[in-house]
Amino acid sequence: MWRIHTREVLSRVQYRRDVVSAVGVVGLRREFGGRRGQPVVVALQGVDLQIPEGEIHGLLGPNGAGKTTLCKILSTVLLPTAGSASISGYDVATETAAVRRLIGIVFGGERGLYTRLTARANLEFWATLYGLRGPAAHLRVDALLERLGMERWADDRVETFSRGMKQRLHLARGLVGDPRVLILDEPTTGMDPVAAKDFRSLVTSLRAEGRTILVTTHDMAEAEAICDRVTLIDNGAILATERPSTLGSWITRYARVSASGVPDERVSEITSAVMEIDGVAEVRLTSPGALLIDTAAEGAAPTVLRLLLDLGVTEVATTRPDLAEVYLRAIGDRGMRIDR
Amino acid sequence: MSETAARDRPDVPTTLPAGTPVRAALASTRNAWADFAAIYTPFTWIVGWLGRIVAQVIFFALIGNLLGSQEQVRYLYIGAAVTATAMEALLVVATTTRERYSGTLPLLVASPTRLWPVFLGRSVQWIPSGVATGAVALFVIGPLFGVTFALGPGVAAFGILVLVAVSTYGYALALAALVLRFMRLRNWATNLSYTLMMLVCGVTVPTAFWPVWVQAIGQVFPLTHALDAIRHLEAGDATAAQVWADVGLSVVTALGWYVIGAASLERLASSGRRDGSIEFAD
Amino acid sequence: MTTSTLSSRAGEVVTGNVRGVAAGVSRELRELRRSPDQLMALVTAPLLTLVFLAIMLHANRHDLAPYAVLAPALLVLWQMALQTSGDTVESERENGSLEALVATPSPLPAVIGGRIAAVTVVSMLGFGESWLVAGLVFGVWVQVFHPAAMVAIVLVTGYATACSALVLSALFVTTRSARTLQNVLTYPFYILGGVIVPVALLPMWIQPLSRLVFLSWSSDLMRDALTPAPIEAMWGRLGMVLLLGTVALVVGHLLVKRALDRSRRMGSIGHV
Repeated sequence: MWRIHTREVLSRVQYRRDVVSAVGVVGLRREFGGRRGQPVVVALQGVDLQIPEGEIHGLLGPNGAGKTTLCKILSTVLLPTAGSASISGYDVATETAAVRRLIGIVFGGERGLYTRLTARANLEFWATLYGLRGPAAHLRVDALLERLGMERWADDRVETFSRGMKQRLHLARGLVGDPRVLILDEPTTGMDPVAAKDFRSLVTSLRAEGRTILVTTHDMAEAEAICDRVTLIDNGAILATERPSTLGSWITRYARVSASGVPDERVSEITSAVMEIDGVAEVRLTSPGALLIDTAAEGAAPTVLRLLLDLGVTEVATTRPDLAEVYLRAIGDRGMRIDR
Repeated sequence: MSETAARDRPDVPTTLPAGTPVRAALASTRNAWADFAAIYTPFTWIVGWLGRIVAQVIFFALIGNLLGSQEQVRYLYIGAAVTATAMEALLVVATTTRERYSGTLPLLVASPTRLWPVFLGRSVQWIPSGVATGAVALFVIGPLFGVTFALGPGVAAFGILVLVAVSTYGYALALAALVLRFMRLRNWATNLSYTLMMLVCGVTVPTAFWPVWVQAIGQVFPLTHALDAIRHLEAGDATAAQVWADVGLSVVTALGWYVIGAASLERLASSGRRDGSIEFAD
Repeated sequence: MTTSTLSSRAGEVVTGNVRGVAAGVSRELRELRRSPDQLMALVTAPLLTLVFLAIMLHANRHDLAPYAVLAPALLVLWQMALQTSGDTVESERENGSLEALVATPSPLPAVIGGRIAAVTVVSMLGFGESWLVAGLVFGVWVQVFHPAAMVAIVLVTGYATACSALVLSALFVTTRSARTLQNVLTYPFYILGGVIVPVALLPMWIQPLSRLVFLSWSSDLMRDALTPAPIEAMWGRLGMVLLLGTVALVVGHLLVKRALDRSRRMGSIGHV
């Protein structure tokens, strides 16, 4: 009896060590075109990525970076040109039947829903396609409607829904097959901040169910808010994988201060005063009386603001950097920008 | 070693419960009825659709007047009425492309169920609608133009009208699979099909009018044989053997089209995976 | 108002209309290039010729060949006119530019006129194709015995079609069931318009109604232009087409004006 027990314990330990990634991508490459004289477009340039089970992983990048291409490959809608991708150890190209049972896709936006049907009818349709029938299907649909707070409008037609309600339905639809891995493709585009925040808390609550979640976005703040780790992608290549706190520090470090209404005769005086501050990267005069100050260190922006106010410039504002700027400054600084 | 490998990844059942394709097709019909209800109210269907179809049938029948032959009037009327049912089945192409526009294609491809059951059930509304228009034209308005059926043959003719709808549905499904690949062709596909059917299926002139190679084209449409049967039933000179032969030929051609349609849909999914033509929602 | 103001006002109106027509023509050409659907008429027209011609030839009525060749062109003309009137309004409404279009110096009637002019040319191309197909496939070459008259008839028919399209546009703007209206205006209209079966062969009780449809006069005239006998009462009948067209124009103008007035009161021109 002792020996059996030891063997069991050992095998369990071994299982944890050899546990397979929820999402495993090795050298994934995808090209388009190349026929009939068309130029070859490389959407993904040999991407590597491992996402362990239970993680909420963000894929952050501008439009055209390859995020959607990667999602399409992982969800078996697109085949890779080279390399491999697997979901929980099942190859997406050769074991599609298993992969399709393991994943759920969640779109953002208007398309992908049957607008003339009710929310319940939509979910029942997909439940059927995922092999549920009769009482089991109704149970699953009811549970999802309740879980996502949709019972009140479950029997209203989707065309009457707001953007936020539609997004919840997208999420419910993605969960219909009880997937281990959820893929959310830019889920909060076009949503107002309140609805987006609600949606994000729904997503983070899914972690408790043990699901792995891949979220693509071009919004740094969103990536910071919900993800355990964030992968930055651009031009079809992965640039880095960061913790959300790193993203947060970039946002504050690379803030920009704008000042307007600066009298012409004081421009050079104010400019040199600002340039003295530690962490100021650049001061530009964008139009008569308007200054733009780029910072490159934490805490520089508030200091600049205080100085400007002290100097009597009162029309001031700070803006957070957008993704392009962060890429330029943070990634570019590290020499990691990859051009196609 | 093999034990740990087996424990490495979770067990995933890949077989779906028996009858899933049937249930999927039925689930898809909900969209069909929803689409129909969104386009038509009883009033607009009667005036805007049925009325227009009956006018179309009369338009062709009146050519018989031009030719000064009551025989011709009846011939053209029956041809146009039955073709109206077939024409409505061609609307499968329209509803199928609507499915693609709704952005659900990638979701359908990524689901465990195949594509063809979903598209099979997606457009069923055109079958009862087509049969209703054809039946009204043939049995209600027809007598005004000298088209009359005895009771027995009339019931048989109604049954064959249903066959026309269901069999042309299969042809239209195959057409729709083609159009899903080349969406811009959707109106061309339906209009050309309809005009071709009018030309070679014995709708306006007997098939014997044409050279053999044109007649061969007519044979691939399920309409040709069904229409022939209905003509004989109306004339009162139909033999059971003849009618059953016509029905059988219709069914065989229809089955062929259904198989082509289902296969083309699956090809659409696999080629779409290769060339990236299945777009995620914008 | 001084005479100079009057003439400059008139000048404005004229240039506005001319610009409108030009805009309409170029708009239609763009539509045709962009959406292959409109060009589809040029493919189905010859096929329909084969259908009609087969019927005639099977009944050994070679004398009816002109009817078979002409009918598809008329079908195409009216179908495209329907589509254009619905289109012009619908797409402008969707772009939100309907208000702008109606309010600009280029008035809506002129734009529609321009589009219909382009459409008429396309449908005559359809006639040419039908003529060619009839000859190549069946060896039946239809002769235009009165070419000058034919040109006049086509011009006048184009005018009447444009006027009718205006009425239709106004109706499509104000009515909810545009689709139903469009459907009703196809085959019932073709029957009343004597597209293939001359109105004289229709039941007596329906003939007065069909005489109110300009297409019935046009189709009869065109068929006469394709037969050797001299065309009877040509000017009188051309006059009828012109008259019916102009009546439609007046009605169309009134409807558009009413729609505009209502939009100014209610704040939007499109119905919900």
